[in-house]
Amino acid sequence: MSPQPSAPPRSRIAAVARKELLDTLRDRRTLLVTLLPALVAGPLVLMLMFTVIAGQIDRARELKLPVVGQAHAPALVAFLTRQQVTLTAAPADYEAKVRGGELDVVLVVDDNFASDVASGRGGKVQLVYDRSRDRAQPSIREAEALLRAYNRQWGSQRLLLRGVAPTVGNPLVVDAIDLATPQQSGAFLLFFLAYYGLFAAVMGGMAIALDVTAGERERQSLEPLLMTPARPLELVIGKWLAVATFNATIVIVTLTGYYVTLRFAPLPAVGVPFLFSVRELAWFLIVLVPLVALLPTVMLFMGARSRTYKEAQASASLVIFVVSIIPVVQLVQQRKDPDWIVWIPVSGQFSLLGQVLRGEGVPLAQLAASFAVPVALTAGMLLLVTRLLSRESILAGK
Amino acid sequence: MIRVDAVTKSFGRQGEVRAVRDVSFSAQDGQITGLLGPNGAGKTTLLRMLATLIVPNAGSASIAGLDVVRDRYAVREAIGVLSDARGLYPRLTARENIRYYGTLHGLSGVELESRAARLIHTLGLDALADRRTQGFSQGEKMKVAIARALIHDPATILLDEPTNGLDIMSVRALREQLRQLRGEGRCLLFSSHVMQEVAALCDRIVILGGGRVIATGTATELIAQSGAATLEDAFVSLLGSGEGLAA
Repeated sequence: MSPQPSAPPRSRIAAVARKELLDTLRDRRTLLVTLLPALVAGPLVLMLMFTVIAGQIDRARELKLPVVGQAHAPALVAFLTRQQVTLTAAPADYEAKVRGGELDVVLVVDDNFASDVASGRGGKVQLVYDRSRDRAQPSIREAEALLRAYNRQWGSQRLLLRGVAPTVGNPLVVDAIDLATPQQSGAFLLFFLAYYGLFAAVMGGMAIALDVTAGERERQSLEPLLMTPARPLELVIGKWLAVATFNATIVIVTLTGYYVTLRFAPLPAVGVPFLFSVRELAWFLIVLVPLVALLPTVMLFMGARSRTYKEAQASASLVIFVVSIIPVVQLVQQRKDPDWIVWIPVSGQFSLLGQVLRGEGVPLAQLAASFAVPVALTAGMLLLVTRLLSRESILAGK
Repeated sequence: MIRVDAVTKSFGRQGEVRAVRDVSFSAQDGQITGLLGPNGAGKTTLLRMLATLIVPNAGSASIAGLDVVRDRYAVREAIGVLSDARGLYPRLTARENIRYYGTLHGLSGVELESRAARLIHTLGLDALADRRTQGFSQGEKMKVAIARALIHDPATILLDEPTNGLDIMSVRALREQLRQLRGEGRCLLFSSHVMQEVAALCDRIVILGGGRVIATGTATELIAQSGAATLEDAFVSLLGSGEGLAA
């Protein structure tokens, strides 16, 4: 019955954090459902996307063009054949087949093509396609480009025959210079990378955050815990540290999965040199720090308000929905993000992740701005959860 | 030593549920004091106020001279509580459950380990100590909860209906434990609605009914006071009805 020396708050906080982490590591089911998606998400998503893109590129490269009335335009046929296009006779029901997606694009040469050309009128051809089909886009673009090229070549030859320089008919020389850096071309694909990184930060801590709050209440271990000398604030900080640590682990595992896949997996060559090196990986982690800290506090709050784990899950999924829809809205808008966006939690992080992927780098001032609001919110939420745990009504209703 | 002086506690928006009204009593060191009362008499509310979890609306209470409101954290270090809610962490072993509370009380290293080992041995938990508490029986869980509450060697021990859900063997083992703790000079406050429990164990009895103290004294004094033949009759006649005793 000797009076104990009071433990310093730090050691109690550490004790709570250690216990919660140990408890989580023992929970095989939660570990499995949280870690497994984090591990396989990267390889799976990348494989899928690369295969789709490689397929599209192949379709464009090996254009197969069914033609109606090949015999009317032998010169065009010869041109297309020289361009490595595989020409076939179009089936009679080609319109239905294009509509149904079996054929990407069909070339129809007008019956009067030869006579029109001979009499000095323009020869008519039709391209039949369904622009709403994404898969057909590369073939359509390729066919259009080939016809334009043929048109130009034909015209130039005619002018030359009449002793006129081709530049008279084509005064504008268009030389397309694509300014997209290799990173930029890959950025759309890597949107998924940014999204998954963000998503990992949202989802990673949920199960454990709800378990240490609503779960603790449900299994009736909260009341005895509140009777120990540990202050509510110490309990909350300890639990938060455990959840945030776990959350950070999930984010690191997810992103490392992407990195390893991009670096070592035999992905189909799509001609887009991806840059997701250790440098980008490190930037991703730095940019996501505020969310890794903030989102667990939101989950803890949801958990502390609920009497049971199930009740808590319902409110937590609402948070997840809102947070995961924000980047999609940003993407769909297709606009450059305004400068102030870095101040907004989630949106700011997503915008910065995009900058990292485009190889633009993140200025320190922007990074600081993106930390400001989440850090303040984290502190505020921790105090709010502490207040919830200090309320007498937390004991009511088992 | 526990002193409770005119303590009142109400719940609800307008304080319409008056759980504890103007309750005063004291509990001495080296004694087991029983709080006897039917369900809803205010026992748990009273114990929660002593455990500093909730704050009285009026009156005051102290444990070992420490005020339960002003010095709440000092009180928490001085008391061991076996509360109404006694959930364990199912994924932790018995020893880890006990150790966790030890660290929250500022214990560490060899001292923590030896205290935990001693409690595990006295409570007969040796065979179970390093198994997860997931599949423990009620009695086994209770023992872990007691060990957890005693890890910091508290001079005052509060127990809320500790025999609930226990079989007779566990109840007898618990009684033995409590007598031993009394023998060490500690102050024990024990709440129950089971009169035989209280009669078998307690040196002094405080009868609660409807949030008030109905009577105080030893079993013999209470029988004499009520003019009844047995403690059960005394209890019923002091409460003024047989209500609530069935539970």
